Amino acid sequence: MLDLCLLAVIDEEPAYGYEMTKRLRARGLAFVGEGSIYPLLGRLEREGLVETHRAASNGGPPRKYYQPSSAGRLALALGVSEWRAARDAVDAVLAPVTLEVAT
Amino acid sequence: MSDFVQRCREEWKRLGVSDALIEEMATDLASDLNEAEADGVSIEELLGRSAFDPASFAATWAAQRGVIPPAPTARRQTFFRKPLTLGALVFVVLFFAALIGSVLIIRAAPPTLGFRRAAAPSLRLLPGAGQPLPGQPLVVHAHASVSAVPLVLLLLLLGITAAGITWLWTTRTRSRPPSPPV
Repeated sequence: MLDLCLLAVIDEEPAYGYEMTKRLRARGLAFVGEGSIYPLLGRLEREGLVETHRAASNGGPPRKYYQPSSAGRLALALGVSEWRAARDAVDAVLAPVTLEVAT
Repeated sequence: MSDFVQRCREEWKRLGVSDALIEEMATDLASDLNEAEADGVSIEELLGRSAFDPASFAATWAAQRGVIPPAPTARRQTFFRKPLTLGALVFVVLFFAALIGSVLIIRAAPPTLGFRRAAAPSLRLLPGAGQPLPGQPLVVHAHASVSAVPLVLLLLLLGITAAGITWLWTTRTRSRPPSPPV
């Protein structure tokens, strides 16, 4: 699931590793650390789902920017479709559940 | 943080990652860690448990990226190391050994097959004993070349057995579940 999130944030705009972390944290995925992002980016790169290029960052050293390849965009579209189907199915099961808290 | 990057460098070097890739990954990591530090984010917040195990972090990253060369112990199977090939080779060698052996034996002493009447033991002391007499049972006699048949069958049996054992062993080896990815 995290690979979908990464593809989604770099599909909006190319980003380097730490920048992706900041974008994900800004949307509530604060548990995501570089420790899990770097191996994942490595796998996405090996599978040809992302393309990279080097460019200067804001006043810092040149960084490695990632963006989805055409295969990555296809994988993102399929993944999002599957995720929405699964989410709707789970919602249908959990919707009737009412929570009562005993006091 | 620089100590963490240095430990990653050492691990990548130990794993055989090329110098160019080590430099690339280390530079990217150091840049990101420095930026995080400037934002007030500690390395533990950023990397989680990986912050305490740089070797594992570096190895996982390199493995996922596919930049670790094959381990020296995982040598590629050569022609004679392939079990199925070796089994087939043993079978073929034994088969032709049996075939050639049979031909040589038969050529050296052509098989003869004849019938004569068995001599009655009581007649051996008499002149002309051992000659077939009318009414005695027939006994089949054959030369030694006929004894090559069991040898041929034995060699064929050995070849088939070797091929069968090899096939079973290969099937069991292939049916093992793959090891989980790093």
